[in-house]
Amino acid sequence: MIRVAYHRHGDAAVTAQRCAAALDGVSPRLVLAFCGGKLPGEAVLEALRLALGPVPVVGGAAAGVIAHAGSGYSGLELALAAFGPDDPLPTVLVEDLDPDERSGGRALGARIRAVAAPDAVVLLLFDSVAQRVPLRLHPASMVVEGLEEGLEGHPVRLVGGGLLTDMNLSDGWVFDGEGVRRHAAIALVFPPEVVLDTAILHGCRPVSTFMEITRIDGAEVYELDGQPALGVIERMLGLSLGEARGQELSLIATLGQKQGDPFAPYDENSYVNRLILQANPETGSVTLFEPDFALGAQVQIMARDNSLMLDSARNGVASLQGSLQDPDSLLGLYIDCAGRGSARSGAPVEEAAVVLAGVPPGLPFLGFYSGVEVAPFEGYSRPLDWTGVLAVLRRRPA
Amino acid sequence: MSVSPRLPPQPLPEGQLERELAYYRRECNALGARLLRLQEEQSVAFREARRSRTVAKLIREAYRLADQGASPEDLAEPMLGIVVDSAMCDRAALLREEPRGSERFHLTHALGLGGDALGRDFTVPSPPPFFFTTSRTRIEPPAYELTGILRLPYILWAYDEATGIALILGNQSESNVSRPFEEGDQELVEGALSVYIDVLLRKQAEVELRLAKGMAEEASSARSRFLATLTHELRTPLNGIIGFSEMMTADSGYALSNREREDYNGHILSSARHLLALINEILDYSSLARRGATLTPYWFPIASLVAESVGAAQGSATEREVSVSAGELPANLSIRVDRTRFRQVLDNLLSNAIRFTPPGGRVQLSARLLAPGQGLQIEVRDTGIGMRPEDVPRALEPFQQLDSPLNRASAGTGLGLPIAKGLVEAHGGTLDIRSALGEGTSVLVTLPSDCLRQEDAAPQE
Repeated sequence: MIRVAYHRHGDAAVTAQRCAAALDGVSPRLVLAFCGGKLPGEAVLEALRLALGPVPVVGGAAAGVIAHAGSGYSGLELALAAFGPDDPLPTVLVEDLDPDERSGGRALGARIRAVAAPDAVVLLLFDSVAQRVPLRLHPASMVVEGLEEGLEGHPVRLVGGGLLTDMNLSDGWVFDGEGVRRHAAIALVFPPEVVLDTAILHGCRPVSTFMEITRIDGAEVYELDGQPALGVIERMLGLSLGEARGQELSLIATLGQKQGDPFAPYDENSYVNRLILQANPETGSVTLFEPDFALGAQVQIMARDNSLMLDSARNGVASLQGSLQDPDSLLGLYIDCAGRGSARSGAPVEEAAVVLAGVPPGLPFLGFYSGVEVAPFEGYSRPLDWTGVLAVLRRRPA
Repeated sequence: MSVSPRLPPQPLPEGQLERELAYYRRECNALGARLLRLQEEQSVAFREARRSRTVAKLIREAYRLADQGASPEDLAEPMLGIVVDSAMCDRAALLREEPRGSERFHLTHALGLGGDALGRDFTVPSPPPFFFTTSRTRIEPPAYELTGILRLPYILWAYDEATGIALILGNQSESNVSRPFEEGDQELVEGALSVYIDVLLRKQAEVELRLAKGMAEEASSARSRFLATLTHELRTPLNGIIGFSEMMTADSGYALSNREREDYNGHILSSARHLLALINEILDYSSLARRGATLTPYWFPIASLVAESVGAAQGSATEREVSVSAGELPANLSIRVDRTRFRQVLDNLLSNAIRFTPPGGRVQLSARLLAPGQGLQIEVRDTGIGMRPEDVPRALEPFQQLDSPLNRASAGTGLGLPIAKGLVEAHGGTLDIRSALGEGTSVLVTLPSDCLRQEDAAPQE
């Protein structure tokens, strides 16, 4: 049985030791670790190895962690999932995201193709921050596109997330099985006996008519319906967004692209949302988290809706009850956008607590606050913003 | 009731659909914008409410520390954890002004700053009791110095002049999570600092109280032990004196011969002398324990002190068939000691060694210089009965003569070693015992280097 441990302490070594002690003496073959950004990864790793021996540790920084034993995003939390001798052990593959995310993803995809059974479950983790000043993220869409190219049509069930040290997008790093590393993507390829069930939890609602992207360069949206994009959004908000408030935009509005019939009734599952990384008053543009919206795309301005988010969390957990309660379930995994924490969203209760309330206490459960989420959607996996991806890894029924 | 004939649908006026679409678009966007703003206002209100709960949460969490078993030294880290968690800041640190009023602050604990920052010192000119920086703050004193502590542009600082303790928290950026600091944050940072100081002082007081209680209990128990032993030690010679004196009275009923009278008189005299020695040592020990020894130190050649002590011990050594000698000594070395008191130390150690060494054994007094600056080590080594290592601490307690076949035969007061230890410590030195059962004992007296001088440099007394 996979064991999950959680601890929170200002001293990295103490946190790691207590987490290791909470594994009840199991000798893990692999540890999946998510570590608050105020804890030095190297110190955590050293303490874990001291306590557990030379076990590979994968995972990385997290803006916060979520577990039965505790949750938080102070930056001092550590949560582990330890794969013991009887648990299906994933193969760990690591690739650099330098010089560019697409080629890194492609190389990783090719390596996954070599080891993965058809429809194998793959957990993808990478550090989200490519550059701190000016802020640039590793676009998950490029990583995933590259990965799909490398897979050459080999089907996998891809789920994952981007890793951050905190909610302010300050930094990110990964545990790659040997040490702490930046600008790298890790794939945990599970054996064929493991299957995946997922639910994507949303919380955004369209608040505008459809608008056409009439000028775009990568993640930089310059014009909507032929007008400066920032001006359009400012008029909607009734605010003037200077540089100081540019980052706050990510917490107020997103751009959403509806999939399928644009005039079908509202369904939260039909939308791919892109958070706004920053506003640029000089160019009248906004920078999205991902560069995957195209010229001519019909988008809507979306408002985050905390009530909707909490409803979506309740509904998502309810929809997965069959898997969550299944005695063959191995691990519940929750990849939760950092913006959904109540410190950022302003939600009256923690959305993660709503999710946790629906997870049976007997199921090992590990979650982290992420920079981006990746989940199967509309037939293939793609990056998502401002979502919570609830995943259950189960043993394939005989 | 008549029914109107159903009319065929009329064609819409030209352009109506477009106008209608434009209308719904406008309304949709206007309502959407309103919804967006309401949503944001609600989020802001929740975030503000969350912040206003921060101080209460922080104080509640921090006071919980007081109820935990943490020692005063262990309080700082969890406290910083609570501060960081409650205030949602990137880094936090505690500093102590050392020495007080110096404007130099020693970073004692930090969170999120990396281990290399600990122990560093910072100068904060005219440290303010409260300070904060924002993106509008000019980088001039004390902003320059304070932002350098956490290596972050936005800091919140509180300093308690009474204790010299300061708390600083900081953020890398200003956003709605790491919101800009403001005047209203004085309550937060000063509240956190005062709670920390309060809990710290309370914990320190608890520790001191526990220590004092332990010492008082130990002192009480030691006093009881001391009195019980003292009573026993005083009664033994007194009983001898009284018993023999009664036998020697005219109406005792004993018909004593002259020889018996002489013997009894000898017993009375020896018991009285023992009693006198005992009382002297009790007074000595009691005076040492109460106010330490009053010393009058001068320079003396160590060779002469050793020779005198070894010479004085020869009588009892011969009586017990034990050889006593002076071993190697550093040449031309003088030590600065109170002659009478230091002789007392050496005499006590030699006397003890002789008493616990069976006939045929050896006792040697020697001295050697330790490494430069480490002082002088004087050693009284015997080939006696020795003791178990766990009994060594007891040997240094008053009246704690250990059980041994030689005990009764080697009546001492049981105060020699404690007195010697007290006197050595009064000279700034240390007294240690190394012993193994059946192999002998070594008593090591170390004198500090400022008590040593080569004879040619020593002033003449």
